[in-house]
Amino acid sequence: MTAELEALKAMWLDLSAHVDQLAAERQHYQDFFEQASAAYVVTDEHGTITDVNGAAVDILQRRKAWLRGKPLVVLVALEQRTEFRRRLRAVREPHAERSWRTIFVAPQLRTEVALTARLIERRDAPGGICWRLEALA
Amino acid sequence: MNPRNSPEWLTTTVGAVRELMIKRLEAESLDPGSRREMEMALEELDVMWEELQGQAALLVRENERYAEFFQYAPDAYLITDAGGNIREANEAALELLKTPREAAIGKPLAEFIAADDRVSFLSRSVPLGLGATVKPIAWRAHLQSREGETLEAEFSVRAIPLKKSGAGGLCWLMRPRA
Repeated sequence: MTAELEALKAMWLDLSAHVDQLAAERQHYQDFFEQASAAYVVTDEHGTITDVNGAAVDILQRRKAWLRGKPLVVLVALEQRTEFRRRLRAVREPHAERSWRTIFVAPQLRTEVALTARLIERRDAPGGICWRLEALA
Repeated sequence: MNPRNSPEWLTTTVGAVRELMIKRLEAESLDPGSRREMEMALEELDVMWEELQGQAALLVRENERYAEFFQYAPDAYLITDAGGNIREANEAALELLKTPREAAIGKPLAEFIAADDRVSFLSRSVPLGLGATVKPIAWRAHLQSREGETLEAEFSVRAIPLKKSGAGGLCWLMRPRA
């Protein structure tokens, strides 16, 4: 049985090494996202927030845990929501305008923001949307 | 990862080895106590193996999520190694450089800088690649596509560890000037 145990040990080490490699790669891209100086929000194809980086939290003035799972539109000022929804519906059209200005609101705060959307391309399913937020002075 | 090390191959092989061990266990005349110990060890192995696989699956999903963000960020990003060679480029960067991925990866970033700006670009970027302290800094230079078109862009750079080795690399954000 020694040979079998040796084989198992070798495979265990292989899988452990694979997990370590995956963890390092995940950290690489996560650090890239979190430490970016630009503000980014990732949503699914319906505009529901899946990820927010630190710079975006500074603009949106909401906690990350609160933001995740919320439709991005709930952060948009009431008078801008119809326009936002219209643009979001059209964002996948080939010649859609994917940059526009809107106003985000937080308690006692209104921030005019230049939004830029880029579609995430996936082969097998509709991809989400990466948004860049630039607070306008 | 080569196919022999893929999680699927490992799972199949571990399953086969485990079956073999159980058969041996049945064939060998162990006393009941030793047999029970061996069975418990196999059960423990199963649990640990499943945990490790679960961990790997979670990491794969998270990797995809963050890697997808890098690939489709609305801004143009490049990651270069200490020698200034492009190691990673996202879609927006390839569009800005007007080059396919295979023509960009491995090439020095300086090759995509217009000749008039190249010396200045290198004098700023080479010390960063050699390990000079990288505080986030920015400057302007002209990009030049393979077809000779030029475009003024603002470059911001910060330190980032490379994906595979973890060695020091540089992350470049390139924004075209309006």
